[in-house]
Parts: sequence; C-alpha cells; structure tokens
Amino acid sequence: MAKTVLIVDDSESIREVVSFTLENAGYNVIVAIDGQDAIKHFDGKIIDLLLTDLHMPNMNGIELIREVRKIEAYTRIPILFLTTESQRDKKMEAKDAGATGWIIKPFIPAKLLDAIVKVMR
Amino acid sequence: MDNFQKKFVEEATDLINNLEEALLTLEKKPGDKDLIAAVFRIMHSLKGGGGMFGFDAISNFTHNLETIYDEVRNDRLKITEDLLSITFSAVDHLRNLLNPEALNDKIIKKNHDTLLAKVAQVLKRMSNPESKIQQDSSDNLVGSNEKTYFLQFTPNESIMDNGTNPLFLIEELCGFGTSLIFPRLHKVPLISKLDTNKCYTSWEIFLATEKSAGQLKEVFIFVEDDSQLEIIKLADFNLLTDKDTIEEIEKQFESKDNIDINELNEFVNELDIKRKNLKVTVKEKLNSFTKENIISSIRVDSDKIDQLMNLVSELVTTQASLSLYVEEKQVYELNQLSENIENITRQLRDTAFSISLIPIETMLTRFHRLIRDLSVEFNKNIEFITEGAETELDKTLVQGLTDPLMHIIRNSVDHGIEPEKERIEKGKTPQGMIYLKAYYSGAHVVIKIQDDGKGIDLDVVKKKAIEKNYITADAQLTDKEILDLIFIPGFSTAENITDVSGRGVGMDVVKKKIDEIRGTVDLESKRNIGTTITIKLPLTLSIIDGLLVEINDTKYVMPLNLVDKIYAVQHEKFVKAYNNLVIIDGEQIPFYNLRNEFSVVGQPLEMEQLVTVKYEDKRVGLVVDNVIGEYQAVLKPLGKLYINHDIISGATILGDGTIALVLDTNKIIHEFSFKN
Repeated sequence: MAKTVLIVDDSESIREVVSFTLENAGYNVIVAIDGQDAIKHFDGKIIDLLLTDLHMPNMNGIELIREVRKIEAYTRIPILFLTTESQRDKKMEAKDAGATGWIIKPFIPAKLLDAIVKVMR
Repeated sequence: MDNFQKKFVEEATDLINNLEEALLTLEKKPGDKDLIAAVFRIMHSLKGGGGMFGFDAISNFTHNLETIYDEVRNDRLKITEDLLSITFSAVDHLRNLLNPEALNDKIIKKNHDTLLAKVAQVLKRMSNPESKIQQDSSDNLVGSNEKTYFLQFTPNESIMDNGTNPLFLIEELCGFGTSLIFPRLHKVPLISKLDTNKCYTSWEIFLATEKSAGQLKEVFIFVEDDSQLEIIKLADFNLLTDKDTIEEIEKQFESKDNIDINELNEFVNELDIKRKNLKVTVKEKLNSFTKENIISSIRVDSDKIDQLMNLVSELVTTQASLSLYVEEKQVYELNQLSENIENITRQLRDTAFSISLIPIETMLTRFHRLIRDLSVEFNKNIEFITEGAETELDKTLVQGLTDPLMHIIRNSVDHGIEPEKERIEKGKTPQGMIYLKAYYSGAHVVIKIQDDGKGIDLDVVKKKAIEKNYITADAQLTDKEILDLIFIPGFSTAENITDVSGRGVGMDVVKKKIDEIRGTVDLESKRNIGTTITIKLPLTLSIIDGLLVEINDTKYVMPLNLVDKIYAVQHEKFVKAYNNLVIIDGEQIPFYNLRNEFSVVGQPLEMEQLVTVKYEDKRVGLVVDNVIGEYQAVLKPLGKLYINHDIISGATILGDGTIALVLDTNKIIHEFSFKN
C-alpha cells in the first residue's frame, strides 16, 4: 500500500511543489496549512511520515511535533523538518521535541525524495 | 513561467501586502512582538519560496532583511524610523522583483543595488559579537582543509522509536569525504531474541573531510541524546589517501569488537600524527512563539468563480422555465419538486455570491500607505481612521472602486486638509483627519470618506463654472447644485496642478467609474468644516431579486429591495392628478407613468398599478399596467450600443424565453425629474 505523507507548510506554493514531487513518486499526500490544521489529522489514521515547516502562524512546527509525539499511535513515525531555518539552536529545539531530521529549503525535488525514501525505509 | 512559479507569485503578492500592512501597524506600535514576529515570518517565507522557485533576487534581497528582523525579534536591535523607511522601500521593490526580468531594467537594478547597500549598512551597524554571521564564518575557517576524524557512534537500542534510521546518518556522513566504516555487530542477539524495532549495531568510522568537527556533530544532532558519540580528530590532513595506512587500519581494527581509543592513539602516534580533540558545546535557547489569527481559507482561481457564477445564472434561468412549465401545465406532482428546486437554487445563488465577496480591508492597506506617503510629501499631519473594514463587497466591485477612492483620498490630502500652522490658526486640532467608513444599507454598501479640512469653496467653483461656460453668470443655483458642478467632465478646482491630484483626472472620472459599477456618488462640503463623499454601491452585479411588471405586453424588472408597496389605482386618478402627485394612504406621492415616459402606444388600462419605490429618503410611484410577481433576474449586459442608457441596468431572460428589461429606478426617477 502506498505510504502516506502529511505535508505541513503555510506557503501554498511549497505545499504544491512538495505534494507534486511525492505524489509522482507514488506516495499518498495529505496537506495542512499550519500546525493547528495538521494536528486534526492525527486522529488514528495511518500517517507514515510528517514533513513540516518550522515557522508557521497559529502553531509552529515545533509545537506541532510536541503535540504529535504525545499521541500514543504516533510516537514512532519519522518527522522531518523542511525549512529555510538553519540555526543550530532551532535544530536542537526541534530534536528535543521529537524530530527525526532536517531538510533545508530550497531543496532539489530529487534530493528531497531521496531523503524521504531513506527515512521511510 | 511554470505553474508553481505562478502560484508563488500570487502567494508572494499576498505576503508582500501583509508585510506592508504589518509594517504600517508596526510604525504605530513599534514594540509589538506579534507584529515583529509576523514581519520576520513573512520575510522568511519570501526568502524560502524565492529560493525554491527561482526568484533568486527576492531570496537574496530578503535574506539580509530577515537577519535584521531576527535581531529585532530577539531584542538585539530597535525599530527606528530609518529602518522602517528602508523596509517600506524594500516592500515596493519586492513587488517589482516578482517580475523575473525586473533586474534587466536599469532603474530597478539601480534601486536594487541602492537598497541592498542600505540594508547592508544596517547590518554592519549591528556589530554584535554573538551574531550568527560571525559564528558561521569562524566555523568555515576551521573547515578550510582536509582532516581525518575517528568517530564512534553507538546508538541506544531505542533509537528507531522516533523514526530515526541510523544508516541514514552514516550515509550522510560518508557524503562528506573519504571514509572507512566498521559496523560492530557483536551486540546483535540470536534471531529468536531479536526485536526488529531495536538497534543493536554500533559503528566506528574513519573519515577524511574538509568539514569541522562541529559540522560532523550536526549530522547527529537529532540523535545526540539517544546515543553515544565520540569524535576525535586524528590528523590535520587526509590519512586515508595512503593505501598502506588504510590496509594497516583494516588489519588492526576490522576484526575487533570495538576500537580502544588508547590503542588507536598509540597507532596514530606511531604514524607520527598529532591528535586533537575537539569539543563542541551546544547552547540551547528557547524562543517563545507568538500566535497570529488568520482566516483559514483556500485560494481559487477567479476564472473558476466566474464560471460558477455563470452556471448559477444559467440554473436560475432554467429553474424559471421549469416553474413556468409546472404552472402552465398544472402538473401537480411536479409542483413540490419545482418549489424545492427554486428554494435550493436561491440558496445556491446566495452562497455562490458570498464566495466572491471580499472585505474592503484588502484595499485599505493601500490607502494607509498612500496617506502615509502623501503626508510626508506634503508635510501635513494626517490621521487615517477606518471603520467597517470587514464590510464585504464583490471582488470586481472592490477592484473598480480602488482607483476612484484613491483619487478622493488624494484630493482630501492635497486640497482638503490644511497645513498644521493653518489649522492651529483656525482653532482646529493640529492633526487633520480622514475618516473612511463602510457599512451595509439594505441591498447596498455605503462607503463614506470624510475629512475635516477646509471644504470646497463654492464661490471658486461657481466662478470657474462661469468661466468655463457651464453656467451663466446669473444662474440661481443651490449650494448642492453648485457642488454637483464638480462632476462635470473637465472641471477641476485645483489652482496649481500638483503631482498628486489635478492631473486632468477629476471628480468626473470618479463619478464615471462608480457609475460603471452601478453606484452613486454624493458630495457634501462645508467651508472650514470638511468634505464628505458618500458612495453607494449594489451588493452584487449579476443576479438581483426583482419585481416583474408589465406594460402593454412588454415586461420589466424592478429591483425588489427598492420596492416599497404596490397599489391598484384607477387610471383616471392619474389623469386628474395635479403636478404629478397622487394621494395614497393620506400621503402625497410624486409619480411617473412609465407608459407615457417610455412612449408606449396603445390604450392604458382602466385599473393601473402604482409601484412605490424608495428614492433617496422619499417614496416615489411608478405606474405600470400589471404586476406579475417576484422574479430572480440574471442580469445580462445590453451590449455596446445601449451603453449610454443608464436607466436600464440590463436585460434578463424569462422562463418562457422572452426578454425583460431591468430598470434602474434610481436613475429613472433622477432623469425624469430633471426632464419635467
């Protein structure tokens, strides 16, 4: 069965280009516009990977993954950040919250896919 | 431009508008944390998206701005007027940069370079030893040459619990340079005892790379707490180029369970290599994040909405045919069904309309900015107050309204509001005020723009009208009539033409534009107290609830929201009426017999219908032969030939396929009252 990836980004264009890349590679894609919108999807449905932006209104990426990790069913899913941010303290904070990895924007679609394939293997 | 890029341009346009809005508010509340965070986030999104979609100019340009606002966000830099004005210019420039070819334009390119220099200056001034930029550069210095490291990586058994795959990390590491890897599998239990969710393997890696120990450590940043990691610098050169050394290492260490650091050191010493242990400390910092309210929404191509509107219009027309069919054929079984469809169609119509409504707030930002810029230019002190920004209007109306409103506001700033000194002399507050209020009134939206400036000098207007031969010198006009002269094409009261208003585009253009969207403009002005301009607009443009009436077999539709009451009145009463007034319900009501006004041939009926409609604050009667009933009219334009017939707002197709003209009762009454 195709794996499901939840993409969270407040920028529509980024959401589209990531969805496009992943859908073409055969993934199921769900999108959310910010943390608050994303958290609604963690209601028991199978999500194989969470790919989230860091800076977003309402609920940012770090707050989001803190919430996600609190939910029993999602303590083990890989969570990747896809962000322009590259400051170390932000990465540390993300890691403490339960993130698996960090991908820097702007990304090359093929490379992004590589990274995603790796964490989902 | 591919689709993603187009999407980005749309999105960036919104972001830039939001940025401008946030900056304007920030100017008033310089300490507002939420706003600063919002500004930072927008810069950040622009930088990210710009880089992603090939708008490198935007990405580079916002990069430094983002750094500045990051400093502001962390209280290391204060918002100054200087910084704000640079940012405002940057906002304008960013709009230009949305055109990928923009930098080919010499003027834009020059502006680009000037702004970059200004931003760089601000950055230079914030010489903070802790700033990120310097940290980065020191990092780079360490990694200027190839070095050899030895890494021991022992993940905790539970490392895979949060989705981390240690192999991924190892692979990333290998990408940094030449490596020699020894996986240590001695902890892997028998298959019967193996838990597939646990990691039993550890790794020992020799790596020759240009990266610094800090950069290597960064690879493991997400697993640091869940594992043991040791990074030792073995040599300041690449140890793994020498084939003999590699063989030697393999021979020495491959078969062991794990490498003893002391042993390794001895080995390296033997090879006469200096060793150095680098430690990287990580400082943690928690940042508080501010929340912001946004309306959750989706973006839809406006063509799609237009298409939806067209379909709804078609449905309304078709539904009318159905209702008519059911009525004529007396098919009772279909009656209920037809009524249901009528109901649903009406709801669908209203919902579809509300989709294309946008709050006028979207254009207010531009006005705030306009007034800000003009105040600076004219050295006037002006406050712009808005009320009812949430009032919604059809998107096309908002678009049609922006230019006229801009012009009105320009006029207010340029001609209306006096300079501070003059205001004080007149006993007014030093700060002038422009007040914009929007509100619903029946099926209309009213927008009122008021200033407390010097008002319009009626004598000047009159003098000018006489000079230009619009009126004769002895004409007796009321104040209102004199004011209305301003709407005559080509009339402009500006004594000196300035850059802002009086560019040959006057109030006549404002009126024309508002007429085009079926609105009305009203002007009031009191000397030294101020000017008020009231614009009244219909809520929507394409479907209206109407009253279907008939004159001699021809059908007309009047907007239902304006209809007050309908009376059956004997024809004789109208014939005998004096001064076109009839007495109805004990009240004198002026009336117009549409049969006469439209020069319809044929005999009038004995009993006619008087439809009273609201006109300004009065009731005015319109006489027709028959009233048929309520009707949802889909407005269709009449075409170019009839564009000047403003008493008819359009035509509509009836259920039986015939055409009815939709009357603009306001214009009809206005026109006929002048004629008589």
